[in-house]
Amino acid sequence: MKINKTDIHKIEDFLWEIPKAFRPNMRVPARVLASEALLDAIMEDRSLVQLVNVASLPGIKGASLVMPDVHEGYGFPIGGVAATLHPDGAISPGGIGYDINCGVRLLTSDQKIADIKDKLEMLSKELYAQVPSGMGKGGQIKLSTQEMDEVLLKGAEWAIEKGYGEKRDLAFIESNGRLENADPSLVSDMAKKRGTDQLGTIGSGNHFVEVDYVAEIYEETIAEAYGLSKGQVVILIHTGSRGLGHQVATDYIRQIISAMPNYGIVVPDRELACVPFNSKEGQNYFKAMCAAANYAWCNREVISWEVRNAWRNIFGPTIEPLKLMYDVAHNIAKVETHLVEGKQAEVIVHRKGATRAFGPGFEELPESYKSVGQPVIIPGSMGTCSYVLAGTTRSKELTFGSCCHGAGRRLSRTAAKKQVNAPVLKEYLKEKGIFVEAGSFKGIAEEAPIAYKDVNMVVETVSNSGIARKVAKLRPVVVVKG
Amino acid sequence: MKIRYLPHTADIRMKIEGSSLEDLFTAGILGMGNILKDGFCDKNGPFILKLKIELTAHDETCLLIDFLSEVLSSSYAEKAIFCEVKIFELTTRKIRAEIHGRQLAHGFDEEIKAVTYHEADVHKNNNRDWETLIIFDI
Repeated sequence: MKINKTDIHKIEDFLWEIPKAFRPNMRVPARVLASEALLDAIMEDRSLVQLVNVASLPGIKGASLVMPDVHEGYGFPIGGVAATLHPDGAISPGGIGYDINCGVRLLTSDQKIADIKDKLEMLSKELYAQVPSGMGKGGQIKLSTQEMDEVLLKGAEWAIEKGYGEKRDLAFIESNGRLENADPSLVSDMAKKRGTDQLGTIGSGNHFVEVDYVAEIYEETIAEAYGLSKGQVVILIHTGSRGLGHQVATDYIRQIISAMPNYGIVVPDRELACVPFNSKEGQNYFKAMCAAANYAWCNREVISWEVRNAWRNIFGPTIEPLKLMYDVAHNIAKVETHLVEGKQAEVIVHRKGATRAFGPGFEELPESYKSVGQPVIIPGSMGTCSYVLAGTTRSKELTFGSCCHGAGRRLSRTAAKKQVNAPVLKEYLKEKGIFVEAGSFKGIAEEAPIAYKDVNMVVETVSNSGIARKVAKLRPVVVVKG
Repeated sequence: MKIRYLPHTADIRMKIEGSSLEDLFTAGILGMGNILKDGFCDKNGPFILKLKIELTAHDETCLLIDFLSEVLSSSYAEKAIFCEVKIFELTTRKIRAEIHGRQLAHGFDEEIKAVTYHEADVHKNNNRDWETLIIFDI
């Protein structure tokens, strides 16, 4: 199947549609949130074919959607949103991805960049020492069978109970760091085995811990509510549920492929395998996914504890502790209420490489954020910049309350490795004042800025379309990678 | 047996060919082992760590993907890379085999999150060889 530009209609500025009539098995139109320049870039890989495939999911409502940072995935595109009607619409593990509850969190400090410049190199080495990264490196915590079940049930709360986190943090985590539907008994022994020693580890690939400073403020009132100010040093953490989540997804995609024929479901790609949400298989997956999501929130809480230790080791025990600004998931499925065909209805929102972006008034938000909306954290590529945005009520109308999740890959890892000389890049970044600590040069080359789209263009698009407001721009000074 | 790595925006796309299904499964395990650590399977024999795998699936494509997923999980559980497979029984819906590998002294080069079904299609090509693409989520 080939999609041409003539198949895509402009609905309004930054919103494009491939109509339902494009292919017979589409149940809803497919929509792309992008500027025209980004749309042209998106058309260079198979993202839109994958988006059209998603539009065929049973029970899908509104439209299958992609954000401007979309790129080709396997089955679902990365940067996609699909909402199916609760309770009998489809749930598809591929619509969440293998890294369940991969997400980002931002910690804020009371330090200004100008005052700590001479300590950055030391800080980069201390962070690398405190936060285990890369493949095959376990963390400091070894979970017993009982502790594992508690982590899967309680999420970030477990870390706090055990002294690895701050109680205040919970209010500043999406879903307060715990999904209630989690059932540890539905997580396989193999998944639990893989998760035994991975709490507090970031892994490899595009995951990182980064020290940034606030380079620009766009909305003073919102920035103040979030505790952000110009020149302030902040820390960004990006990782997910590690091997445990990968195994949960693998286990259930396999089971759901086998179960699909029992429900008469046929999908154009096995990675879109799905069953009705309220079927036994659908519920089992959902409860296991919630457990893996809880593991991821616990993981990011433990990593924050390691980062806080590194911070104290460099700046001394009397330094003001790092505060959690917010933690958001970008690979998850949630049951939420949205406007569907003119009425409020419960839908199962699949976000795969997309961030929840709810506007002001959302009751889950901490008091100080209620009037300004949910923080949305958009990490850029190593060496460019990242953004803090605020969700809006418009996102509910256009994208089931969702926004982009990053810059979006442009080059394959192989192409990046061919084009980038990692030792030279590391030196170049150091000259620009960015200290990179990584397990390998390969990791640096694969994640080089050239491998990614321009995050500024992505953020301009979501901001101009009205689904999120620009609050602050962050510039990196330390990057720690696997 | 042929193993080639092709471009993909974010992940790894591998094309494997084999003169028989056995050959294709052998190419799969070898190709994946060398992603986990570059060139590992080409030079680290003999592969003394042995594990049994028995699986059923409803077609040869799912059987190969499920087999490689099982090998991958075992790699992480054992902190080892498996490079060879000794096949006792193989049909289009069932495999009974022993995988051979070696534990790692210094960790993996690459973290494969999963072996995906996307684009996988085990079939005979024009040369009467078995072939398929496999996308690994990285």
